[in-house]
This record gives sequence, structure tokens and C-alpha cells, in this order.
Amino acid sequence: MKLFTAFKLACYGLWSNRFRVLSAMMGVVIGMFAVIVLTAIAIGVKDTLMKQMGSLGAEQILVLPGRVLDTANGQKDLLSGLTNVPSTLTYEDAKAIQDVPNVKSVTPQLETITIAQYDERNVQSVLVGTSDQYSRIQHADLSEGRFFTKEEQEEEARVIVLGNNIHEALLGKQEVPVEDEGSSDDAQQTKPIWKKVLDKLLGESASAEETSLVGKQVTINEETYEVIGVLAPNATLGSSTDNNIMLPIETALATTDMKNLTKMIVESASIQAVDEVDGAVFNAIKAQHSEIDFSVVKQDQMLGALGKVTSILQMMLFGITVTALLISGTGIMNVMVMSVRERTREIGIRKALGATTSEIMGQFFFETLLLCCIGGAVGIGLGYAFIEVWNNNIEIFALVLPMWAVKLALYTTFGIGSLFGIYPALKAARMKPSNALRFE
Amino acid sequence: MIELRDVRKFYRSGSGKAEILRGVNLRVEPGEYVAIMGKSGSGKSTMLNLLGTLDLLDSGTYELAGKSVHKMSRGRRARLRNEEVGFVFQHFQLIPNLSVYQNVLLPLTYGRKRLRRKKSRVLALLDEMGISNKKNQKPDRLSGGEKQRVAIARALVNEPRLILADEPTGSLDEETTESILKLFDRVHKNGATIIVITHDIEVAERAERILYLQNGVLV
Ligand SMILES: Nc1ncnc2c1ncn2[C@@H]1O[C@H](COP(=O)(O)OP(=O)(O)OP(=O)(O)O)[C@@H](O)[C@H]1O
Ligand SMILES: [Mg+2]
Repeated sequence: MKLFTAFKLACYGLWSNRFRVLSAMMGVVIGMFAVIVLTAIAIGVKDTLMKQMGSLGAEQILVLPGRVLDTANGQKDLLSGLTNVPSTLTYEDAKAIQDVPNVKSVTPQLETITIAQYDERNVQSVLVGTSDQYSRIQHADLSEGRFFTKEEQEEEARVIVLGNNIHEALLGKQEVPVEDEGSSDDAQQTKPIWKKVLDKLLGESASAEETSLVGKQVTINEETYEVIGVLAPNATLGSSTDNNIMLPIETALATTDMKNLTKMIVESASIQAVDEVDGAVFNAIKAQHSEIDFSVVKQDQMLGALGKVTSILQMMLFGITVTALLISGTGIMNVMVMSVRERTREIGIRKALGATTSEIMGQFFFETLLLCCIGGAVGIGLGYAFIEVWNNNIEIFALVLPMWAVKLALYTTFGIGSLFGIYPALKAARMKPSNALRFE
Repeated sequence: MIELRDVRKFYRSGSGKAEILRGVNLRVEPGEYVAIMGKSGSGKSTMLNLLGTLDLLDSGTYELAGKSVHKMSRGRRARLRNEEVGFVFQHFQLIPNLSVYQNVLLPLTYGRKRLRRKKSRVLALLDEMGISNKKNQKPDRLSGGEKQRVAIARALVNEPRLILADEPTGSLDEETTESILKLFDRVHKNGATIIVITHDIEVAERAERILYLQNGVLV
């Protein structure tokens, strides 16, 4: 009953001071919002960079053309290996690796830039000759149709799987394949009106109605291939499949002039076997090459090289979080201290009219609680909305609502709110009423 | 109703201490109407704060309605204040963010008295004070006389036996002063004990007894 009275008084108190309360709440809202959004961005940047740089699993081993030099401290200097060197890796090497014990799969990749042609439209694309494991290794899902099979590889079947951008471009939904997918969804799906009108005038309305190329024939370098599948948009920056056309490596060797592999991804049967497989793969290729013009890079070496970047990003996240908390905390503190100071006389009046210290404190406690709750909820809501809007419109990297940041922001808000809202109120409530009444 | 014996009160000011009350003795019977006069700074408000249990005396004894205030706990004093005392302060002391109605309602919110029909009681009082048309206004929209009526309504709402008024007519014109004094007369007739502090001899003469605070003692 007494608690309820305190709660009721708090509601009155908040309502009767609504303009001051609103500014206090703004402090809480902005504080929460800042912490959530800034950490979400920091985490988003960190995650995206991490994912981009380490999209391979820990049990995967990369075989690259050219020799990756060792740096002074024994780490592989990845930059030297990532530059373009003429490749001497062949499909034979890949087959040789297949026989190495504990190798689960080998995914060779032949890559070249070509023009794909459909219905008078020419689209520049990356042609990738590879194995049936490719979509799994690249974490690329199919949005339509299916990926090619081992059997189709052996038959040198003339089948292709299109990357998302290539598919759209060949359908005429996109003029040219863009480097990265900067444009938003609806821009890709609806043609501008002038374009539709133009299509009508030119009698090309039929193409506008086509929504899928699965089952259709696409021409590449005067050879025709049947489209059997389309990959869903794949946002992993470093190895996006969106501008690729995938075909069985056997077909690629037979119908194009591609010969040397750009890279191979070797999957070890288990993480424990990675070290052993790493050495065995190296030896298997060395046996077929006259010199060491290739590199075998384990994922942990890759990650080791990235360790520094990771720790920089971690520091950035930490710094941003602390700064955001500091700024929001200071804001909330100011607002709280101000509003209690302004209300010292009010506390004196209430006490003169017979309020006990605990009744006053109950009111201020609930006021602070309500203020932080409402402000916190609005702040989280706004933060969430921001993240949603961001994710729907900006595709460079995705933001995730970090639960720990939400909790951290809530705790700080409550902590600072009670410290600077309740403590001065307690001081005022403990004051002799005669003194509180004199307070200006 | 009130019994002060050899009450002393001093304030620490900087290095030394200033003794404001130097042995005040006062006995007020229930239902009495007493005026206290004295120069500015003589300690009238200080004494009223002691009487209203808003401040503590430094030595002596104080009994209010048969209870020893100087021995009471904080919480008990708050209850006593709520139930027995109605204040009319020197500067109105209305809460600026609450409406007239809410200001008057406040003592009922804290009271343990289970008064029924709190709302109608407040409204009836506002009506009696002639300010029921202002019940939803904020205090800063009111004239001095109206504010004082709100303050008096708030002092009366809990039906206290003791009314303490500090310069209730200090900033009001003659006509308003007269109407406020009439209100006091009415409250007095209804049986309340009133102690009023004033500079104005005409106001003081409405009381049954006039006391002067001089050099820290009542004469
Ligand atoms: N809380 C306090 N701390 C220190 N000194 C105080 C305090 N309250 C009052 N005084 C001092 O005590 C003296 C008496 O103050 P008080 O307010 O009781 O005078 P007063 O008789 O009510 O005067 P006025 O007629 O102007 O209202 C003054 O000198 C004042 O400065
Ligand atoms: Mg005074």
C-alpha cells in the first residue's frame, strides 16, 4: 500500500515535471542510443573485417600460386602471396592432393574474366571452373535451381550456375554488374518507368517478364551453356560470388583456354589433422613441381597475421564503448543532479506537510526507475530501429544489436541514474525541513 | 496544546555561534489565538520552525499535544506534523509544478488518517476559500492573495489542531488582508489553535494574546 503510494507519487512527480523529465529522459535515451549504435557499428566493422579476412574455416588450408615469403619472425608474409603471380598450379595437383590421407575435399578454382551473353545483353563476369564442393566451401546458398554435381563434372556437362548480380544483369534488371552491391533491393527489382516505356517501344517487353534464367541457354565465348542454378547474394567481401559464373572444372578445361588454378581450398578431415595435412599437401605438390612456386597456408597462420588487426579492432570497440558510456553517463548525471537540486525546496515542502524520509525516497526511487526504464526502452527501441534501417539500406556491412552493449548501457544508466538521482534526493530528504525550505 | 520550557536555539555562523532563542517559555492552550511580534531577524521564523517540528531545539523541552517532541524519532515527528500541524509559510511554499488542487491534496497523500472522500474535501475547501475556479491552475498563475488562500486551504485540509502562520498577510493589500483574517477568525471559531507571526499590529490585534520576541526571549 505504501509502495503503491510512492509509485503513484512518482508518476505524479514525473508528470508534473514533464518538461524537465523529458530533458532528463532525452539524456537517457541519447545515452542508450549512442552506446548501442556505436558498439553495433564497431562490432559490425570488426565482424565484417574478420569474416572477410577469415572466411575459411579452421580446418581449411589454402594453396596459392607463388611463394609466400616468411617474415623475420617466422610468420608468413601474406601480402607477398596475395599479389598476382603467374600460376603453375594445375588440376593434376588438385587430384594429387585428393589422395593425401585425411584430406576431406579439394576445391580447385580456375578463374578468368569473360563476357556472358543472353538475349542481346552482354555482361562482364568472372568465370570460375570448380568442383561441386564450391558452394559449400564459399558458404553460398542457392536462390534458385541447384549446383552442379560430381557426375556433371565427369561428363563435362555444359551447365553453369550464375552469381546473383550476373543473373540480374542478364535479365536486364541491372545495366552492368557493379563491383559491390551498393544499390538497394527495390532498385534492383523494379525497373524505372522510363526504361519500361523504352522496352515497350523497342518491342522488348517479353524480357521484362522473365524472372529466372534457370533452364535457359547462356553464351560464353561462343559456347552455350545451360543455367541450372542461381546463387543467393553473398556478402562476404573478399570472396563474393555475386559476379561469378560457376561451371564444372572439367567443362571449363574442355571448352575454354583456362589451364592454371588461381587457388585451391583443401579441407582437412579434422582440425587435429590440419598440421599433418598441411605438410602432406605441400609434399604432394612439390613432387609434381620442379621448384617451389606455390604456397600452402594454414588458416591459423592467416589468423595469426590478422591477430594484430583484430586486437586493433578490439581496442577500437573498447574505446568507442567507453567513450559512449562516458558521454551518456555525464549527460544523465548532469540532468539528474540538476533536477534534484531544483527540487530541494519541494522536498522541504513535502516534509513540512508530513512526508517521511522513506516516503520521499520511495517517490524519488520510482521516479528514477521509471525515467531510466522509459528512457532506456525508448533508447533501445531507437537503437534497434537504427540498426534495422541500416541493415535494410546499407549493405557494406551488417549491424547486430549487441545484447551485452544493451545490458551494459542499461546497467550504466541505472547505476548513474540512481547514484546521481537518488543520492542527492536522499541528502535533501535527510536535511532538516527548515533548511530545505530556505533552499533557493 | 503547546508547552515550551527554557528553549534555546543557536546557529553556527562561520567561526562563532549566534544564539537566536535564549530560553523561551511559552504555554498555549487548545483553541487559543496567539500573535507573535518582533523585529526582523529576531528569530520569529526560527521559533515557528521549532513549534512546527521542522527544526530541532538545542536545549529545553517541547511538548505538542501532550507528546514530547524533543524525544521523538524523525518518522514520528513527520506523522505528528502531518496530523496536528498546518503551516502557512512566509513565502507560500507551494510546489510550482503541481496544480492548486494537487497542492492542497498533498497532506492527505501522506497522512495515515483514512479520510474518506479526500477529493470532495479538497474541492469543498477550495470553494470555501473562493478559489475553486482556479483549481487546475499552476501556482505561478495566481495573485498573492490567491496563493495565500491555497496555502491556507492546504494548511486546513488535514483538519489539524494547530495552525502556524508566518507573516500570512506580509505582501497583501488591506482588503485581501482583511479577507484572510476573516478566514482565520472562522478557523479559530471552529476550535483550532492559531499562532500567527506578524509585523502588523492590526493583524496582531485580532488575536487573543500578543507576545513579543526580544533578545531571544518572549515577553
Ligand atoms: N538555517 C540558518 N542558519 C544560520 N542562520 C540562520 C538560519 N536560519 C535563520 N538564521 C538566522 O537567525 C536569525 C533569525 O532568523 P529568523 O528567520 O528566525 O528571523 P525572523 O524573526 O523570522 O525575521 P523576519 O521577520 O525577517 O522573517 C537571522 O539572523 C538569520 O540570519
Ligand atoms: Mg521570518
